[in-house]
Amino acid sequence: MEEVKTVSEMVYIGAGLAVGLAAMGAGIGLGIATKGFMEGAARQPELIENLQSKFILGAALAEACGIYGLLIALILSFK
Amino acid sequence: MGEHWVGYIGNLQVHWDTLITMWVAMLFVIISSLLLTRKLSVIPGKAQAFAESMLKFFMGNLSSVKDGKKHIPIVASLFLFILVANLMGQLPLRLIHLKEGEFASPTNDINLTAALAVIVLIYYLYYGFKEKGIHAIWHGFSVSGIIMLFVELLEMITRPLSLAVRLFANILAGEILVMVMISMFAIALPIPFMLFEIFVAFLQAFVFMMLSVAYISTAVSEEH
Repeated sequence: MEEVKTVSEMVYIGAGLAVGLAAMGAGIGLGIATKGFMEGAARQPELIENLQSKFILGAALAEACGIYGLLIALILSFK
Repeated sequence: MGEHWVGYIGNLQVHWDTLITMWVAMLFVIISSLLLTRKLSVIPGKAQAFAESMLKFFMGNLSSVKDGKKHIPIVASLFLFILVANLMGQLPLRLIHLKEGEFASPTNDINLTAALAVIVLIYYLYYGFKEKGIHAIWHGFSVSGIIMLFVELLEMITRPLSLAVRLFANILAGEILVMVMISMFAIALPIPFMLFEIFVAFLQAFVFMMLSVAYISTAVSEEH
């Protein structure tokens, strides 16, 4: 295996780490949001309509954090 | 992807593809609004019923805001413009080949989303100051009041930044995802991802609108 030396090669490691760590955080957040939604829906099924839109909003916000990492990875790898 | 058809007007740099697609989206929203609200009557026809149901959707979202009806114009135009702009990325408009860039969603340009976010910032600051005067950002001369002042000033930067980058990055990432899928699979398999991008278009327009509503709501609400 070749040794990675130059900065332009190291950048790809950074890009991979950026997208991986961001996806990890977004995944944890989405899991917690879904857990809360499911528990609330199971306890009070009549609130599902009300909870659903707020859950989707929160899920989109959590997912956006993962997309930030992807953006940084793209900026790094296309430079 | 991420490239633009760059031109110059004087010293100003212009992204022509974003400009053209933005005007197409704006014309679509304006013309369809005019068509849907033509010949209003007490017993609504199909077009009027559709327009009324959309208006009801915006009123429902603004119901928790004080004087919510006053804010319908900006919230509705933000939602409709972003929705049309996002959906345009999936339309055959991008089959027209340009030398550089392409006719995709105008929201894949961060300059446009930043402009939208700055509009929201100015709007909620204006109503905040109108409603509460200097107390919109000044919470009294104490340690917590001074800290809150800096938090409010910081929020003026972070809120538009996060609004702009969220919309831009989601749309750009969606386009890159579809491009990667098209280059990986030959037939039919990219279609689910394209359908997912249509869902994302609705979702991001909704998120942008709901966050604007939340900012306006905190700006005009009474302090506890």
